[in-house]
Amino acid sequence: MTSRRRFLAGLLAAGAAPAVSWADIGGPAFLSAGKAGDGRYFLGALGADGSLLFRLPLPDRGHAAAAHPTRAEAVAFARRPGRFADVIDCTSGSRIARLEPEEGLHFYGHGVFSPDGSLLFTTENDYDNARGVIGIWDVSAGYRRAGAFASGGIGPHDMRLRRDAPGLVVANGGIETHPDSGRAKLNLGDMRPNLSYLSFDGQQQDLLELEPDLAQNSIRHLSMAADGTTGFAMQWQGDSGDVVPIVGLHRPGENLRLLGADDPRTRNLNGYGGSLAFTKGGSQIAVTSPRGGVVQVFETTSGQMEAQHHIRDVCGLAASSRGMTATSGSGQVLELTGETVHHLGDHPLAWDNHLVPLA
Amino acid sequence: MLRSFFLALPLALSPLIAQADATGGIADGLILPLMADLAGSGAALSTAAEADCSPESSDLQAAFHDALDAWVRVSHLRFGPTETDNRAFSLAFWPDSRSKTPKALSAMIAKENPAVAEPASFDEVSIAAQGYYALEFMLFDPAYTELGNAAYRCALVQAQSAGIADKTAAIHHEWVNSFAAEMRDPATRYRNSEEVTQELFKSLLTGLQMTADMRLGRPLGTFERPRPKRAEAYRSGRSLRHVVLTLESLNDLARALAAQDPDVAGSLEAQFDKTLQRAANLHDPVFAGVADPATRFRVEALQQDVLDLHLMAEQQLGPALGVEAGFNSLDGD
Repeated sequence: MTSRRRFLAGLLAAGAAPAVSWADIGGPAFLSAGKAGDGRYFLGALGADGSLLFRLPLPDRGHAAAAHPTRAEAVAFARRPGRFADVIDCTSGSRIARLEPEEGLHFYGHGVFSPDGSLLFTTENDYDNARGVIGIWDVSAGYRRAGAFASGGIGPHDMRLRRDAPGLVVANGGIETHPDSGRAKLNLGDMRPNLSYLSFDGQQQDLLELEPDLAQNSIRHLSMAADGTTGFAMQWQGDSGDVVPIVGLHRPGENLRLLGADDPRTRNLNGYGGSLAFTKGGSQIAVTSPRGGVVQVFETTSGQMEAQHHIRDVCGLAASSRGMTATSGSGQVLELTGETVHHLGDHPLAWDNHLVPLA
Repeated sequence: MLRSFFLALPLALSPLIAQADATGGIADGLILPLMADLAGSGAALSTAAEADCSPESSDLQAAFHDALDAWVRVSHLRFGPTETDNRAFSLAFWPDSRSKTPKALSAMIAKENPAVAEPASFDEVSIAAQGYYALEFMLFDPAYTELGNAAYRCALVQAQSAGIADKTAAIHHEWVNSFAAEMRDPATRYRNSEEVTQELFKSLLTGLQMTADMRLGRPLGTFERPRPKRAEAYRSGRSLRHVVLTLESLNDLARALAAQDPDVAGSLEAQFDKTLQRAANLHDPVFAGVADPATRFRVEALQQDVLDLHLMAEQQLGPALGVEAGFNSLDGD
């Protein structure tokens, strides 16, 4: 393992020379996958004002994206079970590389760059072994596969950089799937979702598991606060009508906090968190539920729900300068500030699950 | 010539105008009378509890059934006035997967919590101890009809009934004084009549989903582990009744929404008829049959009929109304 660690450390130190930056291309604020009116899939770039700046074709339905920290370069991930991740030069709209999973693996739809942009990490399924994997790609070598390590659980989905220490935090959703059976869930009776905190070479630094009565609450999506608090959103796989928390906060070394557990309005989420995001200062965290058609905003210190917005088929969510920006499957881009919802744009297309902020 | 041109114009625009009129008409013609019944039956329940708070009182039991019937008929209309101040949740805390209602009631009775004396203080107690489902425990569950002090139980029943009267009156008041107008002439809350149609269509789908997943799905559980004690309002023998009342109410809503499209209206009507007929033939008021393999399939068949209705509404009525199925809500990822 030492050799691999040294190899990775070398890659991280080498860094990546800045090419054209995000600011150079006219400052898109967000990326989102989508589906156009003609049925074609794309990755779109949105301005802070909700305008669609450009869109780049994708061969199939996308899910999330990862933006390079400095270069105007993004990786658009296919919806799981993903067979591609397209690296796109956002200055020209051209595809720089297509990542394809190795034999026996598929992508889950999320990934993240290392802080210096030299490596890309992707969540993957080693499906014959029912084992979650984090794939490593060497950006400077043209996104060459550079290795992989265990994700610390089954079904890794979203993944973020830690802010309190170098490393990754992975949402292992706990649900086993196999491409032979599509998206069918194979182990609902013995799920064990977790949050795994991993070093960049795959050493487990910390682990959060839920109490047994919440073992069917799949941890899926993440947001990271500046102080290193991980916000996570869950999707309940137990009986419909069971009343369970959907949003949690965790910081290694501190107790888990589940938000809104005693607020009846958590039922409006229909047991399903689609995306979540901290506000810029980290004083609030919001979750979307396309199934419930709501966005719920919680105050992070008290854990109380501060606002609820009813928006049909809402899912994408990201912090913006005035609060939150949300997107919907009916093409809306909305700004949420306090109790108000401001319509920024109505596009004749469908925005997919995630709205990815560009730093 | 000119005259006939102007006469023809409204006909050319008729589908859109008719749909806008239809949605406004649903608020006035369908929803307001149901909300009036909700408030009227809530007030009558409180009056009956004041007159005789005994669980054996046939007047009180009848008032309870009337009031809960009225709630079930509007239970899918979960937007606007029912959501203000969490009114719907404090009227109807169900499903109760963590048994909060019996726990909250036991605690109140054991401590003789004085909040029952004042409506304003009762409004602040756990919502699990308020509303129709908590009152059902006090009137129909033998573990609660005899628990603790009789005078306290009486005060609790009266406080629950008064709370139901207050909240249903507030819902009705808001519908009459502002919300019906927002649906009739969309301006702020809804930007246009399409958004009003979407809201009503969503409540139709929600009602069908809730019926299949909760009212039928929760007692069905799995074949290996049926859960008859999860049936809604089984203590008062009302589980199947809730399915029937909901379907009747949803049928009215679906008929109104589909008014512009006779083909869709016809197929929905036929499926509602089939489903209601199956419910009428079930003769199993609390779904006790889910635990018996010989009768379980009949409840499963009813659930399948409701799921078929949901699919039909989504795939036929949705497009007819210009409402597409949710790109993200159907995705699951």
